Amino acid sequence: MKKFLTVLLVLVMLLGLVSMVSASEAGKLLIWCDETRTPVLAEAGKDFTALYGVPVEVQEVGFADIRSKLTTTAPVGEGADLIIGPHDWIGELIENGLLEPISLFTELRSKFVPVSLEAFTYGGKLYGLPYATEAVALFYNKDLVPEPPATFEELITIAKGLTNREKGEYGFLIQMPDPYHSFPLLSATGGYIFGENPDGTTNPLDVGLANEGAIRGANLLLRLVQEGIEVPGADYQTVTGLFNEGKLAMMIAGPWTLGGIKEAGINYGITKIPTIDGQVAKPFVGVNGFMISTFSENKLLARTFLTEFIATKDIMLKLYEKATRPPAFLPALDEVSANPDIKGIAISAADGIPMPKIPEMASVWGAWSDALELIVNEKLEPDQAMKNAAEQIKKTIMGE
Amino acid sequence: MKKFLFPISLKIIILGILNALAIWSVIILIFDSHYWMGGILILGVVFINYIFLSEKAYPFRYMVPGLIFLVIMVIYPIFYTIYVSFTNYGTGHILNKEQAIEQFENQVYFPKDSVSYTFQAFKNDSGEIKIILFSPEEEAYLCENKKIIVKVDLSDPRFIDQDKDGIIDQFDNYKKLDKIQTIQRLNELQNLRFKKDEYIIKLTNLTEFKVCNKKYQFDSSLDRLLDLENGKVYHNIEGYFVSEDGERLTPGFRVKIGFQNFTKLIRSQQISGPFLRVFGWTFLWAFLSVITTFALGLTLAIILNDPYLRLRKIYRTLLIVPYSIPFFISCLIWRGFFNTEVGIVNRILNNFFQVIIPWLQDPIWAKVALVVVNLWLGFPYMMIITLGALQSIPSELGEAASIDGASRWQQFKNITFPLLLVSLAPLLIGSFAFNFNNFNVIYLVTQGRPAIPGAGTPAGATDILISYTYRLAFEGVRGNQWGLASAVSLIIFIIVAVISAIGFRYTRSLEEVSKNV
Repeated sequence: MKKFLTVLLVLVMLLGLVSMVSASEAGKLLIWCDETRTPVLAEAGKDFTALYGVPVEVQEVGFADIRSKLTTTAPVGEGADLIIGPHDWIGELIENGLLEPISLFTELRSKFVPVSLEAFTYGGKLYGLPYATEAVALFYNKDLVPEPPATFEELITIAKGLTNREKGEYGFLIQMPDPYHSFPLLSATGGYIFGENPDGTTNPLDVGLANEGAIRGANLLLRLVQEGIEVPGADYQTVTGLFNEGKLAMMIAGPWTLGGIKEAGINYGITKIPTIDGQVAKPFVGVNGFMISTFSENKLLARTFLTEFIATKDIMLKLYEKATRPPAFLPALDEVSANPDIKGIAISAADGIPMPKIPEMASVWGAWSDALELIVNEKLEPDQAMKNAAEQIKKTIMGE
Repeated sequence: MKKFLFPISLKIIILGILNALAIWSVIILIFDSHYWMGGILILGVVFINYIFLSEKAYPFRYMVPGLIFLVIMVIYPIFYTIYVSFTNYGTGHILNKEQAIEQFENQVYFPKDSVSYTFQAFKNDSGEIKIILFSPEEEAYLCENKKIIVKVDLSDPRFIDQDKDGIIDQFDNYKKLDKIQTIQRLNELQNLRFKKDEYIIKLTNLTEFKVCNKKYQFDSSLDRLLDLENGKVYHNIEGYFVSEDGERLTPGFRVKIGFQNFTKLIRSQQISGPFLRVFGWTFLWAFLSVITTFALGLTLAIILNDPYLRLRKIYRTLLIVPYSIPFFISCLIWRGFFNTEVGIVNRILNNFFQVIIPWLQDPIWAKVALVVVNLWLGFPYMMIITLGALQSIPSELGEAASIDGASRWQQFKNITFPLLLVSLAPLLIGSFAFNFNNFNVIYLVTQGRPAIPGAGTPAGATDILISYTYRLAFEGVRGNQWGLASAVSLIIFIIVAVISAIGFRYTRSLEEVSKNV
């Protein structure tokens, strides 16, 4: 019997080997999608199949894994035809030769929020069909802050009045050390990550994290710490947890925190991030969309699915219902723009700048977080910390 | 030797099926030009045949499953890592050269005077497709043999408009495809290429064909790529096609780059600068982890081994609980406990001693926190193995010693402990090697933080070699640098192997101790 089992085992493994070298299927759409949106797309896929007789399979893949999974499996013919993801993935995916450009008719183009299409454009070509935009905004507890502050000076005054660390009460928190949430402080006074070449492309050697404006923003962060407002160890869980307990009056947060806030029954409001020295605080805008794999054998079919089926008010609204983000599709956005959550985030996003999407961004996050951490922990002066970070990013990119 | 459970013919049949499958697989592999895999498969199958047919190789039959798994799970990954460390595999260099060239050669450009054609597809009863293209000047072209297009007159009797609505319903005996049918046949249509003069016409979207031209041509003899639109030449330089004026085409591709990853490790100040510091902490971390967990585990095991202790089964069960909670969860909970502002550890310390410790913000305290977390995670394992080893020490030894007048401490120091070490030392070395690469605890609790002021390198104060590797490989220049990561893991592999080898030599001397007891 043992021998028989052995032989069986070998057979199974050989079969596995053979199936490994088989190619992905033509004539059937395979979509990789995160858990939130899988039900919507599965339903849309069924309708597509009913209408056109083309089978559509929707596979649930963890949001963070979609990119790496496509990178490893697509070149060996195992990847999906369509994936869902944020626009800042596209730089890396295109460098890896994994994304197919999508051309849209002018008529359809005009139905999208322009900045969302711009976000998915790389080297003059469109690489994604956007469905939602997102940005951080000022979330405040209306019971504690009836009128949200319009300037950062006001915010600091209100926050100081509400902060009582002995009792575990806080006026205002930004999660730390987190470049994404604190970028508005740096951008307001002129800080940026990468500058632009004359032709509009990103220049990875022009790092704007240590310019005057960025250092001013970093000093503001230090001031928040010194005034006793910002606290060490304020990570995502701490900040959102305190807000949901009603112990935090204001925070900079994104629409992904809405579920928890609603569940906790907090009387909240969302608005613009207050101005700094009279300048608008510009958050990063992230755009989510659908992308087509270069290795898809159904490229035109995939594009048809997107343009004929996904780019409709009906589907876009369903995607919106699953996760509250301002839709990138104008007919759907018009329908929901009265929603105060959407209004607040859309106002904030309107001032925003699309998150850089070049692959060099990978070298930015670590150095930048380190700098913020050193500032918040008061281990290094803001100007020194930001200069070091910018230097490190440049060195990494130049390969020294 | 007729002691088989199965008649010999069955064995032959199964081997026959196996061989047939293997030959089939090898043919597929060779056609896909995976020569290495094909070769290894042939060797493996020949080996399996040999041991099942030859009586001499009988003992091997019991080892085959283990050997196969050893090859797949251990030997293959090691060799693959070695291979990758000599390539530039990483962001921008994911595809192999053939795939990259294929992508370039599939690209097209639209000439300035490019014409768009609307089209109508028709099919006959046997499913063959004919396409009629309509130019902007309302001229019709028939795509006859799928390669070239022929102008046809719209008054041609083969055009049939049955319902007289001005739209052609039928061409000859070919019926018009409606939108749904067109979408169903889209895969077929997208691969059509028609010739027109020196250009090609292909489907660009659901409603039109367009005149275009091939953008790149690869010249294999000179290993270069030619831009047919503007005549630029791109040379193959380290995994990219680069033009004379430095323009670089994406995607790049994988190439072997020799020892470049290793020399980069030494040359780059960014990487080698913090190496010694990281290495020192890695060593200390692994050492402290083993010592603290072993000390606590041993103490608890000895207490629990005391037959006079009441309720010891309950204690034993409770003490194993930390081991049974998934440590991802434990790590994250501990991270919360150590939160400087709202964590329970500081709340308690503040209430009783009025101190607040910056657990995760100060390099020293962050290290203390890590050791504490790992102590919680690791002591149950040490306790279990020590309890097991204690059972195997004969109780007569202790009795004899106490008759000789040895105190309990002397008994422990001179008898129990050395005997324990004989069986536990290899496990302690294993634990050391494990903690040397204990990425999870570091990453989940501190992520290698806090940062070091003015360091200018990506290493944090609590980064160990493997988490530092992770930072280098995935937070480096532009995403993933698997080649570099493989090079560092190879070096770590060598370090761990050397430490373990020294450790095992030391345990051999312990075994000699046990002979003298």
